[in-house]
Amino acid sequence: MRRLALAKRTLGSLRSEKTIVLALAIQLFIAAFSSFLVVGLVSLYDPGSAGGAYVVDVGVSGNATDDVAPVVAAGDSRRVATYDSQAAALADFQNGSIDAVMHSTEQPGGRVLVAATAPEGSFRTTLVVSELKDALSELERQRRSELSSSLTRHPLDLPPERSANPYFSFTYTVLLPLLAFLPAFISGSVMADTLAEELERGTLELLRVAPLSLPEIVDGKALALVAIAPAQVALWLALLAYNGTPVSNPVPLLALVTGVAAVLVAGGAALALGIGARREAQLLYSFVALGAFGAASLLPQSLQNVVARLAVGSPTRLTWLTVGAVLVAAAAGYAVLRRTTA
Amino acid sequence: MNARNVLRIARWETTRSAGDVDRKTAVAFVAVLVALAALVPALLAVGPTPGEGIYRVGVSDDSDYRPVVERDPALAAVEPSQGAVADGRVDVQITDRGVVFRDSEKSRAALAALRSATVSYNDHVMRSEPNQSAAFPVVVSLEYVEQSISVAGTADSAQQTEDPDGAGGGGAGDGGAGGSDGSGQAGTGSDGLPAGSGGGIGGLLGQSQSGTPSSLSPPFPLRSLVFAFAFLLPLNVVIQAYGSSVLAERINRRGEPMLVAPVSRGDIVAGKTLPYFAGALALISVIAVAVGAGPLAVAAIAPLAALFLASTFLGAMLARSYKELTFVTVTVSVTLTAYAFVPAVFAEVHPIAAISPLTVVVDSITGGGTTAGAFALSTLPPALAATVLFGLGTGVYREEDMFTQLPIPSKFLDALAAPLDSARRAGVWTALFIPFVLVAELFAVAVLFVAPVELSVPLLLGVVAVVEEIAKSIHVFAGFERGKFSRTARTALVAGAASGVGFFLAEKLLLVTQLVGLPGIEVAQAAFSPAAVGLPPGVLLVAPLALHVVTAAISALGAMRSRLAYVGALAVAVLVHVAYNLAVVVSLA
Repeated sequence: MRRLALAKRTLGSLRSEKTIVLALAIQLFIAAFSSFLVVGLVSLYDPGSAGGAYVVDVGVSGNATDDVAPVVAAGDSRRVATYDSQAAALADFQNGSIDAVMHSTEQPGGRVLVAATAPEGSFRTTLVVSELKDALSELERQRRSELSSSLTRHPLDLPPERSANPYFSFTYTVLLPLLAFLPAFISGSVMADTLAEELERGTLELLRVAPLSLPEIVDGKALALVAIAPAQVALWLALLAYNGTPVSNPVPLLALVTGVAAVLVAGGAALALGIGARREAQLLYSFVALGAFGAASLLPQSLQNVVARLAVGSPTRLTWLTVGAVLVAAAAGYAVLRRTTA
Repeated sequence: MNARNVLRIARWETTRSAGDVDRKTAVAFVAVLVALAALVPALLAVGPTPGEGIYRVGVSDDSDYRPVVERDPALAAVEPSQGAVADGRVDVQITDRGVVFRDSEKSRAALAALRSATVSYNDHVMRSEPNQSAAFPVVVSLEYVEQSISVAGTADSAQQTEDPDGAGGGGAGDGGAGGSDGSGQAGTGSDGLPAGSGGGIGGLLGQSQSGTPSSLSPPFPLRSLVFAFAFLLPLNVVIQAYGSSVLAERINRRGEPMLVAPVSRGDIVAGKTLPYFAGALALISVIAVAVGAGPLAVAAIAPLAALFLASTFLGAMLARSYKELTFVTVTVSVTLTAYAFVPAVFAEVHPIAAISPLTVVVDSITGGGTTAGAFALSTLPPALAATVLFGLGTGVYREEDMFTQLPIPSKFLDALAAPLDSARRAGVWTALFIPFVLVAELFAVAVLFVAPVELSVPLLLGVVAVVEEIAKSIHVFAGFERGKFSRTARTALVAGAASGVGFFLAEKLLLVTQLVGLPGIEVAQAAFSPAAVGLPPGVLLVAPLALHVVTAAISALGAMRSRLAYVGALAVAVLVHVAYNLAVVVSLA
């Protein structure tokens, strides 16, 4: 009961200081920031995914034009213009009426040499080059099958192409683990702060005069800080689902976050009580947490991967075992903390 | 400021923080650092793949596609079974009759992953073919040539001589390709290609490339970007220690003796900051050497490091507890990292990147040059902003502020109001805010420029108006709230006018953006020079001055009454500002 009162007080102080609001704002910012980054980067890296808003004009010349031109024209975001000579194409490239030049020469052996020219130093360059790459890969596939008689092994047919969301894997493997572990990390950090602060100000002594034992104090604070981590993540999951990113296995995912938060909070508390000074405790906590995450990614399934598998709906038995192991570690961490504070 | 005092305090700060650490903690630090160092090679060796096994592909053991699935970590092979796709046990299934998949996001993503895995598997198989010219029937050499859309003139003639060179290179390649066939596996084309034709063009976007189509890589400065990111990491550690140290002075009133000592506030703050700034610079220099960046990179990051410290200092002066400080520190590092990182993503592809100090680092790593204008644009705003923040923090480094417990916003108003002795002083504050206005607007430009112009320009005009109007009025509001100004319309008008004039004069700083050609970007033009051309010079000067004075006076009148009136008046001022900007843009269009 007294623990609950203390937990409520800890949450109350978080609320009155508006820190929890700030924490949510920061996370929102990180999410917006990373989705901006991913959209920006992917559209740079794979501009075709941007929706074909931009069409690349390619000038084709050389004696393999008949082979190359249809392949270039087959792309939705490409237009082709044929030229009699490379010089004529380059002249048009210079005056800006085409974006790229492909001068193709067919050799006696059947190999096609393509001398491609792309504009330098412009925002379009990445887009132009990836369109060229696309067209040339298609050409390579066609030529390979024409020349298949001189090959000992045959390339496999490609699975059909369907428009897929290029951010799909990023969302589940990077963004979601980030959103899941950040609250847990902050909880541990705040735990170290609040205990170190009570120690530095001398108020922990005062609390002990009250009918509360040290384990009860630590319990109360830990209860509050462990609980807010899955609460924040649950909000995230709801927000993601609302935005059209469904998350499978939400309950095991939240259990995992609770376990990780408990381990980190116990660690933060132990460091703060052991060191007593905020600066050193906080610094050491950051390093230890970093190391713990690093070590956890050496597991057969890293924690990041476990989150991704749970959320995307491809868990294996090992995934469940890892979740179980984290919960066991959380219980063990708590038991150790209790024994040392008692 | 007295240099001897500063150094003495710096020495004291250093010895105290070192002396504070007891042996047990020191041992723990060493142990953790050793463990981290040991972890890095292990992580590099294992190479964690966060996306491992997220897509399940139903494929039988004897299928041709089995090795494809096994080679790609994101794909997990599952025994195929009837109806597995329909009930979601498998995302994609390869059968004798073709590929089966569901119409779901995940299934389509899995299909795309399978497709690209097949492409790379095919390349892998073809590499061991005896007949390389049939295995890789297309060989490409890519060159980057500057497109000069201007009228052909002397500048183009250099390009013209380059062109036949390229054609000749292609011809030479015909002869050389036979050699590549003979040379076998390694010669997937690169040595059968015209080697000499790339000379002279190796410009901004790296070197010309050659090889098979799949070896083409669109220019993408990811590697240098990751290196540049490494520069920001130590700053986060440094500000954590620095913030704790500043807050520790306030908790338990430990800073009180300092204030009594015969040293100025400036001495104390400079002395306390110096060791951390020096430490940050030392760490940055070590990283610069490690990643192969030059001294220019260190010089570019130094103002950013100062800005990290300055925001942490102010945050620690305003925070009530360590908990609050943790959130302040996280906010500072996230915001500033975003400011430095987002524009730098476009390094080498877009001039917008010039606003970030990290771009100088990227250029320094890749060997591209930095112009003086670009250097100034990327370093001046953070340096000025850091100076102002330190000024604000030093202003409240006094007993009545250090040891009181008030919410951050209220303390922030205290810090703003502290130096406002007369209404005219408001103009000085406004001028000092210009670096923040610049930083905020540059960041808005960097974020918005990817959006289509019809969306980004109006959005940006709104953002610019909000940022500028807040900068012109927030301290006036603080002056009224803290009783520095008498609540009369006359004072409000004087403060508003001073603020408007101060803003107008300082705004000329924004001209630095024109040194690097940012106005070439439509969005940047809308932000920084809406009244660029087409108007007589008299109007060009008078119109913005009038605008700034009028809008600042509006919000000052609101600030005089109450908080609510201030918010309302600010909204009106923003609307007037937007209307003015729109009028200018439309009249010039």
